[in-house]
Amino acid sequence: MSAPELITITVDGRQVQVPKGTGLVEAAATAGIEIPVFCYEPRIGSAVGACRMCLVEIEGMPKLQTGCTTPAQDGMVVHTARTSETAARGQNATIEFLLLNHPLDCPVCDKGGECPLQDLSFRYGPGKTRMTFRKRSLEKPIPISPTIALDRERCILCYRCTRFSQEVAEDEELVAVNRGALTMIATFEDEPYRGPFSGNIVELCPVGALTSTQYRFLARPWEYERAASVCGLCAVGCNITVQSREGRVQRVLSRNHPEVDRGWLCDKGRFSSPHLYAEERIHSPRYRRGEAGAVEELDWDEALAELERLIGEAHGEVVLALSGTETLEVAYSLAAIVRRGAHSDGVVLPEPALDALDPYRVPLSALAAAEEIVVFEESPVLERAPVVDLWLRLARRNGTRLTTIGPAGEIQRAPGDGAGACRELAGETNELGQRLRKAERVILIWSGRGGAGGAHLAGLAHALGLHEKDGSGALYLPSTPNPRGVAEAWEAAADESSHQPEQIGLLLVSGDEAANDPAIRKLAERARRTVALTLFAGDTASWADLVLPATSYLEGEGTMRNLEGRLQRLRRVAAAPVRPELSWLAELGERIGVTLPASATGIFAELSAKALDGISPSSLGDRAPLPARAKAGPVEAPEPEAPPTVRGGPLELIRYRALFSGPVVEHVPQLAFQRPLPEVEISAEDADRRAIADGDDVVVRSNGISVKLRARINAALRPGSVRIAAEHCSELALGVQVSRP
Amino acid sequence: MSVNDRPVFVLAGTGGGDLRSLEDYRRVGGYVSLEKARQMGREAVLEEIKKASLRGRGGAGFPMGQKASFLPSPAQAHGPIYLVVNADESEPGAFKDREIIVRVPHRLIEGIQIAAAVIGARACFVYIRGEYLSEYEILMAALAEAEGAGLVSVPIIVHRGAGAYICGEETALLESLEGKRGMPRSKPPFPAIVGLYDSPTLINNVETLATVPKIIEIGGDAYAKIGVKDSTGTRLFSLSGNVVRRGNYELPHGTTFRELIYDCGGGISEGRKLKAIIPGGSSSPLLTADQVDMSMDFDTLQKAGSFLGSASVIAIDERACMVQLGLRIGQFYMYESCGKCTPCREGTRWIETLLRKIEEGRASHAELDLLVDVCERMLGKCLCPLGDSDAMVVASYVTHFREEFEAHIDQGGCPFGGSSSLEGVRSPVDELYRGRVRQEAAR
Repeated sequence: MSAPELITITVDGRQVQVPKGTGLVEAAATAGIEIPVFCYEPRIGSAVGACRMCLVEIEGMPKLQTGCTTPAQDGMVVHTARTSETAARGQNATIEFLLLNHPLDCPVCDKGGECPLQDLSFRYGPGKTRMTFRKRSLEKPIPISPTIALDRERCILCYRCTRFSQEVAEDEELVAVNRGALTMIATFEDEPYRGPFSGNIVELCPVGALTSTQYRFLARPWEYERAASVCGLCAVGCNITVQSREGRVQRVLSRNHPEVDRGWLCDKGRFSSPHLYAEERIHSPRYRRGEAGAVEELDWDEALAELERLIGEAHGEVVLALSGTETLEVAYSLAAIVRRGAHSDGVVLPEPALDALDPYRVPLSALAAAEEIVVFEESPVLERAPVVDLWLRLARRNGTRLTTIGPAGEIQRAPGDGAGACRELAGETNELGQRLRKAERVILIWSGRGGAGGAHLAGLAHALGLHEKDGSGALYLPSTPNPRGVAEAWEAAADESSHQPEQIGLLLVSGDEAANDPAIRKLAERARRTVALTLFAGDTASWADLVLPATSYLEGEGTMRNLEGRLQRLRRVAAAPVRPELSWLAELGERIGVTLPASATGIFAELSAKALDGISPSSLGDRAPLPARAKAGPVEAPEPEAPPTVRGGPLELIRYRALFSGPVVEHVPQLAFQRPLPEVEISAEDADRRAIADGDDVVVRSNGISVKLRARINAALRPGSVRIAAEHCSELALGVQVSRP
Repeated sequence: MSVNDRPVFVLAGTGGGDLRSLEDYRRVGGYVSLEKARQMGREAVLEEIKKASLRGRGGAGFPMGQKASFLPSPAQAHGPIYLVVNADESEPGAFKDREIIVRVPHRLIEGIQIAAAVIGARACFVYIRGEYLSEYEILMAALAEAEGAGLVSVPIIVHRGAGAYICGEETALLESLEGKRGMPRSKPPFPAIVGLYDSPTLINNVETLATVPKIIEIGGDAYAKIGVKDSTGTRLFSLSGNVVRRGNYELPHGTTFRELIYDCGGGISEGRKLKAIIPGGSSSPLLTADQVDMSMDFDTLQKAGSFLGSASVIAIDERACMVQLGLRIGQFYMYESCGKCTPCREGTRWIETLLRKIEEGRASHAELDLLVDVCERMLGKCLCPLGDSDAMVVASYVTHFREEFEAHIDQGGCPFGGSSSLEGVRSPVDELYRGRVRQEAAR
C-alpha cells in the first residue's frame, strides 16, 4: 500500500497536513482542536450527521457543515466555535434543543460525572433555559434486558445504540419506533435484547439513557479506583478497565486495544464480575476425612501441611490437571511444585496448543483488511472467541470474501473433517486453494476441536505461502483462555529429576473448568488421592480429599498469552477473599524444597529467563504488542485423525460449549437469560424426514439415554449432524436418534 | 397568450380525459419518442435534455441533464446503475404526480424507459406514495400492458410507501426502498455516486420524467423556447385553497399567479379577498396578495425569498387566521419529522408548542420573539430540508402578518373569535401528542 496523499487544511488559523479523506473531526484533532460530537463514533460505521453538535463554518460554504460527515479537502479553511460566532451559535442551539426535554436529574444519574452531554452543555450550551412548557415524561426505566435499563427521557436520539446493533453486532434487535419528537429506542417486538454484545451500547450511550442494571445507583464515577487489565474468560483477551470501590468490582469497561478488540466486549466479559461474590465461593481450604468423612475447614497452615503430606505419600506419582484459565505465573508455580518438588512429569493440559502458527502471526485487526478469510468452523467463532465474530462481520462489510467450512459452513464438511479440508485446499488443483494463492491478504482461522494445536492449519498456511505475505496469517481459536501459556509454563518448569508416573498417586486439579471436565473426573476415580483448587464448591466434596480456594482472573496479577500469541498482563483489580495462589504455592514450595518467588513479577522474571527471551513485564505495557513472527520452516502437517465411529444412532452429535456457559457464567444470575436453551439444532432435511417442525418437542436418544429437547431447525447445518449445548447433552453418545415424542 | 391556446406537453392528447390504455396512448403518438431515443443513442438524448434545460419538477428544480451527467457511465461504474422515480407525492398542496399517473401512466413509463437508457440503468424503481392505492393499480395495469407489448426493456419495480412525508426526500426514499427506516442520509456522497444499494442512482420526479418524451419529440431547443429563461417548458400547477375551481393546470413557466388563480381557477370563492399565496407547497415561504402578479418561475420566486417548489399553489382568503395556518402547517412538520437530527426533531415540536400558546392567547410578546429565534436557530442547521422548511415558513408567516400574531397576544386569544376558516382544522398530532402515543409509551 502506498502512502496516502497529504492535503493541507486550516482549522481556526492553524495549518495541518492530513491524509486525503480524513474527516474534519479528526483533522481538527490533529491541529489540537476539539470539534465536539454526540452521534459520531467511527467504530459504528460511517458518520450520520444526526446530532448536529459538530457544526463548523467552512469558508466558501453558505451553511454550517457537520464536521463528522465532511471530509477535509485541500485548502479548506475551517472555523470551529472557537473562532466563528456562527458556529458557536449553531452549537449553542443544538445543546439548547437537546436539553429541551432532557431531565435535569444529573445528581442521581449514573452518567453524571462522565457524561458528554453534561460536559458539552457546560462548554457550549446556553446558561439558562427558555423553555416554558412541560418536559416530555415517559415511563422509566424500561428493562430492555436483565442487564440493561433504558431511560427514554434522557435519550438524545444519537442512534449510536441502534447503529451498533445494526451495523456492528448485526443482531438487528434494537430499533427506533415512532418518529419526530416521539421517537423512542426499543427492542424489536419488545423482546429482551439478547445479542451477546449488548453491553457495548451502555458504553456507547453519550447520556444516561442506557445503564447497566448491575451498576445502577452504586456510586459516583469519580469515587472509583480504576485499573487496566485484561479479560480472562476466553482466548481473545479483550483489554478492560475494571472499576472498583473498596476492593469490590463495580463494573468492567472496554479499554480499546485497536489490534485486539477495537473497544468491544462480549457480555460474558462485561457482566461476569458478580461471580466474585457468589455464595458458592469457597473461602477457606476444606478437607474430607476418609471416603465419606465429614468435610472440615482448615486454616492455611493445616492445609499446606496436609498438601505436603499428600505429595510425600504420592512418591512422585503426582499428576497436574490444568484448566487453561490459569495465568502463566500460577501455572508455572503449580508446575514447579509437581516437576521440581514431586519429581513428576504427570500433566493433563487443557488442549493442545503449539507454536506451529507462530510464523503466521497476525493481529486480529488484520481481519478487517483481509481479502480472503477461510474459517474451518466446527464450532461457531462466536462461541469460542466472541469478539473475533465482530472482526469477521467488519471484514465482510469491508468487502472481504469470507468462506466457512464445517458442518454448518458454506462448504459443508462433517464434524472433525477440518484437517481433511486443509489438505484439499493445500492441493494444487483445489479451486478455493488457487484463489487463496492468488490473493494478497489471506487469513485462516480454525474454530473447533481436532486442530492439533494449529498444526493442520500451519500445513495449509505454509503451502499457501502466508508467511511471506503481509497482512496474511493463521489463527487458532482454543476453547480455553490460556492453553498456550499454561503449556509454556509447564515446559519452563521442566526438571531433570522428574519422570512420568505410572499410576496416579495424587491428582492435583487446578481450576473449575478441569474440575467439571468428565475426563478429569474419570482420572480422579483412578487417583488414590485428589486435591482440587477451585473458585466454587460445586460437588468437589464428593470426589476431592482436599479442596483449596482459588482466585479469579480479576483477583491476581499475572500474564496470559492470547490466541494471537500476544502476552498480556492481568492486574489485581479486586481484593481476593482468599489467600492468593502465588503466596501459598511459594510457602508450599519452601516446605518441599522448591524455591519460588511469591510475587507475579518474580515468577515472570524466572519464567522469562527460561522461556520468554528475558522480556520484562513492563515491556508488555498497557496495550501489549504482538511478538514478531517466528521463522517459517517446512511444515509436515500431521495425518488427519480417523473420524470417530458414530455409534448409538444415525445422527452425529456435535456437543458444543455455548458462549454463556461455564463455571463463571453459571454464577452470574443476571446472565441466566443468556444461557443456552434446551434445544437440539437439526438440519432442515433431517427435520423434514422426521416430520419435525421448528419449535417441536423432540426426544434425543442414544445408549439407553433419552433427553427431551425442543427442535430448532438450522438451515445452514448439514444433514446428518445435530448440535446440542454441552449442558443439555447429558451422557448422550456420539450417535443419536431424534424423534417426536 | 390566452389560457386556451397554451402549449400542453405532459397532459397532451388527453383532451380532458385519460390515456390509460396503450391503444389510446399510441393513437396520440405514444412510445414514438422511446423508439426515436433508441435510435439517437444515449449521448444524443442526454444532449437534448440538456438543451431543453429541463429542471426537476419535484421541488428542488435541479437540471435533470446535469444530474444525469454526474453518474458514472455503465462502463466506469463498479456495479449496477439504478433509476429511481420519486412518486411519493406528499407535500401538502401537491397532487400533480397523481394526475399524471392516473391520466397518462404510459407517458411516465415512456419517460422512465428513455431516462433508464440514457444512464444505462439495470433497473428502475418507482416509489409511490402509500395512500395512492388506485393510482398504484392504474400504474401497474399500464405497466403490465407496456411489458406485454415489449416496450419495457429495463425492468420497472413499483414499491409502495408506508405513509411518511420524509420518504419523499430522496435519500430517505432510498433508505425506505432498501427496507430500512426512512431517514435522510447525510450528503455527500450524493446518490449519483452512492445511491440505492450503494450504487450510482438517478432520482427523478414523476413529472420530470413524463416531460422527457415530449422533449425527444420536439427537440430540446424547441422545448426551451416555451416558458421563460432558466424555467423552460410547462408545469403542472396544482391549485387549491379558497378558489372556485381547484385542480391541476398545465401552464408554461412565467404565467402569473393572477392568471392561475383568477383565469384558470375562477378566482376566490364568493368574491372574497385574496390574503396570501403559498406558492410551491407547504414548505415554501408565504407570498402576500399584493404579489399576485408575480411570474411563476424558479428565479422570480427565489428572488422574492420563496421558491416554486412543486408548483403547488394554495390561495388563502381573508377569512384565514395566519396563526392557525402556522399551527396547522407546524403540526404537519412536527408529525412528519423523522426524528433523526436534533434541530428538526426538537425544533418542530417547540415551534408547534409556541404557536399553540399564541393561538390560545397564553403567550407573551417575548415568546413571539422566541418563536422567531427558534426558527432562526433551526434554519440551515438541519440534516435535510424538512426542518428548515418548517422554520422558514413559520418565520415567513410572522414576517408578513406580525400584527395578527401580536393581536392574539394582546387580546388573549384569536382575534377571529372562531370565525376563521381554519378554526378547528388540526392535524393528527393533536390526538397523538396528548393521548394515545403517550399512553403507549407509558405502557
